[in-house]
Amino acid sequence: MLQFRALLRQSFYVTAMLLFLQSCTTSVVVEGTVPTPLVSVIPARMGVYYSDEFRRFKHEEVFRDSGGWHIDLGKQNLRFFQNLTKSLFAEIQEVHQPPLTTEEMRDLDGVFIPSIEKYGFLTPSISGLKFYSASIEYRVAMYDKVGTKVGDWNIVGYGKSEGGLFSSDEAINEATVLAIRDGGARIAIELIDQPAVQAWLQSRHESFESSAGPPGVAENIESSETPENVDGVPDA
Amino acid sequence: MVSLMRNLLIALVLLPLLSGCVASRIEQSRDSSTGIEADEAIVLLGRASYNDKQTEEGFTECIADVLAGGDNPIRLIGQNQFRDDLYPWFEPRTAPTSADELGQLFTEPGVKERIASVNVRYLAWIDGDTITVDKGGSMSCTISTFGGGCFGMSYWEEDASYEAAIWDLKTMTSTGQISAEANGTSYLAGLIIPIPILARPGNAACKGLANQLREFIVGET
Repeated sequence: MLQFRALLRQSFYVTAMLLFLQSCTTSVVVEGTVPTPLVSVIPARMGVYYSDEFRRFKHEEVFRDSGGWHIDLGKQNLRFFQNLTKSLFAEIQEVHQPPLTTEEMRDLDGVFIPSIEKYGFLTPSISGLKFYSASIEYRVAMYDKVGTKVGDWNIVGYGKSEGGLFSSDEAINEATVLAIRDGGARIAIELIDQPAVQAWLQSRHESFESSAGPPGVAENIESSETPENVDGVPDA
Repeated sequence: MVSLMRNLLIALVLLPLLSGCVASRIEQSRDSSTGIEADEAIVLLGRASYNDKQTEEGFTECIADVLAGGDNPIRLIGQNQFRDDLYPWFEPRTAPTSADELGQLFTEPGVKERIASVNVRYLAWIDGDTITVDKGGSMSCTISTFGGGCFGMSYWEEDASYEAAIWDLKTMTSTGQISAEANGTSYLAGLIIPIPILARPGNAACKGLANQLREFIVGET
């Protein structure tokens, strides 16, 4: 009888321990450096809109084997994009959710809207590999002064990190920071070379040269761009 | 009991002196002359890719520690700082894969000036890893109210293979390669307490590669 009770007690403790371990949640607040890109500047004054979801992006997931994960990457991601856009465009100004009024667009050439479509990560216990990895799918959209979409692009950033036995949260942090950097690198390098962006810059350049022509011509062009003819930027 | 405790204590004291044997080989090929001024620096970059293989950060740090010390210390720029300063041109996706791409890289706005500002002369790309090629034996440990201990013997053989490719940023050319290979078998003997006899081929490869790299960089003119 005594042995049976001892066995029952041991089973209870083991079960309680397993349940406890499974219910453990690992929380990661992603932090890292925010480098300034060395890239060609897009000669445009852009309004940049960061949605609340972008600013406070969090990812939650539960794995049967490794418990729950709560990853807060909003702040790091926002800081990174604020720095990125400052280097990418000639001038930037954070704006509220479109549509913007004509008056608000007066000193801007267009609007740039980044968003996070998807975030995912893998641990060694899930992937069977020796490292942690993270991926972020961004969607970036650009609109011109009158609200016409210049283009939108999906960019995936990927990062991986080796992890120690007791540093899974640090490894996920590092992998996520690298994924943000990778996505940012692709945007910084590739955006200016997109045909749609090149065409938009060219049309702005031609429009600027036309408006700088002889007075008679300039008046005709300016009259076609009077405030009542310019629409605000449509919803993102 | 007293003599057993004394023997265990002696074993613990002697433990750090026990190490497995490592066989290592260093090879070098030189493409052009080198030399480094006191104010010039080198950057050690671990080659990262999106497959399973990636140079361990600890290995690159080991080489950096060896190069920064000794009789002829070399000025180093940390790889994380360098990657931040030259962002986005040395990320895993964007980093140049050969010295031939340096010319194109230097046409990007601000890159040449940024490299000149930290006076980096050489880049050394470190590639490779340490893998376990064989293992065997068995060890079991038990603990009870009457005491505990480990019994048995297990072993594992590791192979460390690394290569350093050195680029001269002044001439924008590759100056040569150094390869380091080391092999060793570690043992874990269970004699009440587990007694490790570790061969550290990764450490041997690091020290060999670092010392050869120092000679290579400082070397012939």
